[in-house]
Amino acid sequence: MDAAILTEGLTRRFGDFTAVDGVNLSVAPGQFYGFLGPNGAGKSTTIKMLTGLMAPTSGRMQILGLDLSTHLVEVKRQIGVVPEGMALFGRLTGSEYLNFAGRMYGLGRSTAAQRAAELLDFMELADKPKTLITDYSHGMQKKLALAAAVIHGPKVLFLDEPFEGVDAVASGTLKIMLQRMISRGVTIFLTSHVLEIVERLCTHVGIINDGRLVAQGPLDELRSHVAAGTGEQTEKTTLEQFFLQTVGGSRHENQELSWLG
Amino acid sequence: MAWLNSTAREQLRAIAILRWQLSLNSMRSVRGRMNMISRGFAGLLVVGAGIGGGIAIGAAAWGIAAEHKFVWLALPFWLISIFWQIFPVMASAFTQNVDASALLRFPLSYSSYFLVRLAYGALDIATALGVCWSIGLLVGISVANAALVPWALAAVGGMVIFNLLLARMIFVWIEHWLSLRRSREVISLFFVLLMVCFQLVGPMLGHYSRLPTIQRFHVLARFIPLTRALPPGVAAGAIENAAAGTISSAFLSLLALTGYAGAVLLPLHLRLRTQYAGEIVSSGDKNSQPVRRKNAAPRRGWKLPLLSGPVSAIFQKELHYFLRSGPMLFTMIMPVVMIIILWGGRKGFLNHQSGFLFPIGAAYCLLVMNNILYNSFGGDGGGIQFFLLCPIPFRLVLAAKNIAQFAVLITELCVLWLGVSLIYQHPNLNSLSLTFAWYLVAAPLNFSAGNLLSIYSPKRIDYSTFGRQRASESAIFVSLAVQLTGMGLGALAIFAGYHYSKLWISTLILCVLGVPSIIVYFILLARIDRIVMTRREVLASELCRVQAQ
Repeated sequence: MDAAILTEGLTRRFGDFTAVDGVNLSVAPGQFYGFLGPNGAGKSTTIKMLTGLMAPTSGRMQILGLDLSTHLVEVKRQIGVVPEGMALFGRLTGSEYLNFAGRMYGLGRSTAAQRAAELLDFMELADKPKTLITDYSHGMQKKLALAAAVIHGPKVLFLDEPFEGVDAVASGTLKIMLQRMISRGVTIFLTSHVLEIVERLCTHVGIINDGRLVAQGPLDELRSHVAAGTGEQTEKTTLEQFFLQTVGGSRHENQELSWLG
Repeated sequence: MAWLNSTAREQLRAIAILRWQLSLNSMRSVRGRMNMISRGFAGLLVVGAGIGGGIAIGAAAWGIAAEHKFVWLALPFWLISIFWQIFPVMASAFTQNVDASALLRFPLSYSSYFLVRLAYGALDIATALGVCWSIGLLVGISVANAALVPWALAAVGGMVIFNLLLARMIFVWIEHWLSLRRSREVISLFFVLLMVCFQLVGPMLGHYSRLPTIQRFHVLARFIPLTRALPPGVAAGAIENAAAGTISSAFLSLLALTGYAGAVLLPLHLRLRTQYAGEIVSSGDKNSQPVRRKNAAPRRGWKLPLLSGPVSAIFQKELHYFLRSGPMLFTMIMPVVMIIILWGGRKGFLNHQSGFLFPIGAAYCLLVMNNILYNSFGGDGGGIQFFLLCPIPFRLVLAAKNIAQFAVLITELCVLWLGVSLIYQHPNLNSLSLTFAWYLVAAPLNFSAGNLLSIYSPKRIDYSTFGRQRASESAIFVSLAVQLTGMGLGALAIFAGYHYSKLWISTLILCVLGVPSIIVYFILLARIDRIVMTRREVLASELCRVQAQ
């Protein structure tokens, strides 16, 4: 079976700076894949390349077995994206935007209207029908962006920091929706700084650091510490511990700012 | 500054250094360096205007004081005040304002904060020129009559303080209103009306210039008591009274001037105090009450004949945007405003050639639309990502936008036709056919250039506000070139028609020229997808860019 997302030697350079360096990703259909990395590691650049918002300098990308460079429109039809900027039109109402999004993805007028109403209801956005998106709170905008990304029933969903700036209530709604999608076989590729959320939702994790993919695999496997040589499993580390070990985030542990408090 | 404690002095010094570093850092990019060079030129102009204006006003004040014609002294005071208050509004497009409220997170005392807000305002062109000219005024009066120096110093100094406070007061209140979307739109509308009123000044002056001289003086005389009661008149009155030896009246005038300054200081203080106290400004739609909709029938989108679903959806979205944007709606009323202006000044050419009114108005409609045509994605902001992500060719997105823009243009032409018919007479068949033939050339030309510039030189624009909202410099330059080409072709065709005394020849020439123009439009449209693929990153990053202060 084809991987839902597959990259080979994916590289992106900006002048002398290499933002993404030979990344080989493989995400199987139905996986909830968390893509992690410190700030500036190359997460957003990767997701932009995977969704056609940015061209790679070199390398190959396949989504659902289709090569992105030759089948961009077909790929776009099958994916949903919540990009970094959320891709919203501020001067439409939520309902107008979802209707618009549905029709842009080829849904008929009635279907688009029906799904828009259902999504607004599910996301608890239906009670402000005349409010423009520009007047929505950040959390409401995130929910709306996710609603627009799923209105056409995508097979692969790309989410760039979907929980950033979202309160616990809105975050709960988003999680429920994502888990339901996973149970129906949708593949989700998510970047997040909130490791607890990734730990709770994702089945697989990839970690990128300085543009290079430094770890990839099932979450449980990555967290398990196997004693060297014996093969005996000891205590499981948390994702945070594993992440910090992998990207070298413990270098300030012994450093002290004596004048602080 | 001695009355400030050392911490406050250090804070103010740090803020001054911050501004200097911001200026230096802005020169890291080529664009920043170019801006700095243009600011340097502007600075030279300001120095010239400051010195030249100061000398001119000083000479006028000297003449008034030397000749003891103090009744005219209010005039230079008024000129300086009007410029000081009006210029910042007009120049908002090229005046850089720094959001001083961001400094509130630091432990600034209220007096320091107040001073910072005042000092930021003192760095603009209007204040620099206003101060230069006021010095000229002071020097002029002092040279003419040394005995008036203390009075002139108090009156001119008082006016400088009053103008500075008034300009700041207006700025902080407008800034506050602009931070709320609803009031921002109301202010935009007010700004439009103000601009329209300015356009009507010419016809109004023309109207009064036709009155006999004595009646003109009567009209002016009605305003004189008002001008003397307001601060510039009061300041002039203080000097006039001092020169006449009525010292008590002079003191009273200065007291009144102080009262005016205090009256301006109060709302300024109230606003800054509220900001200082941690005002939370939200663009949220406070009036929008949650509405529980049970079993409401979903509203379907539009389906336009001959157009696919996505194109209809984009058309609908564009019209929603258009109808919800004050500045964009402004384009709809401009043709009518222009007719009124032309009607106000109808003399000479238009009396004999009213047949050209519709073509001229139609050309103006296209010119006004250019702001939108040459930056088609400017109002979409982050929404551009949606267009780049959705599974339809980008040429369809642009075509749909062009159809919506063309529909607006046609509506404008209808409004124009109605206006011309009501105010003058129905445009005759010749002028209608000539106009539409010219549109066959000019519209595709503008749409083609506009589509290219929208992709090559996009700029994020908030269509809910006026001021500091313009397309990129390159778009403006290309737009000008295309306009000149279109107008030139039209003029040549009309010239040929006149030469043979048959206007239908002009129409025919323009129709023929329209064919390659339309072909060019479609060829470019067919290549748009390839262009967008190479430009998508710039397009997205420019339009998703958050406006930093």
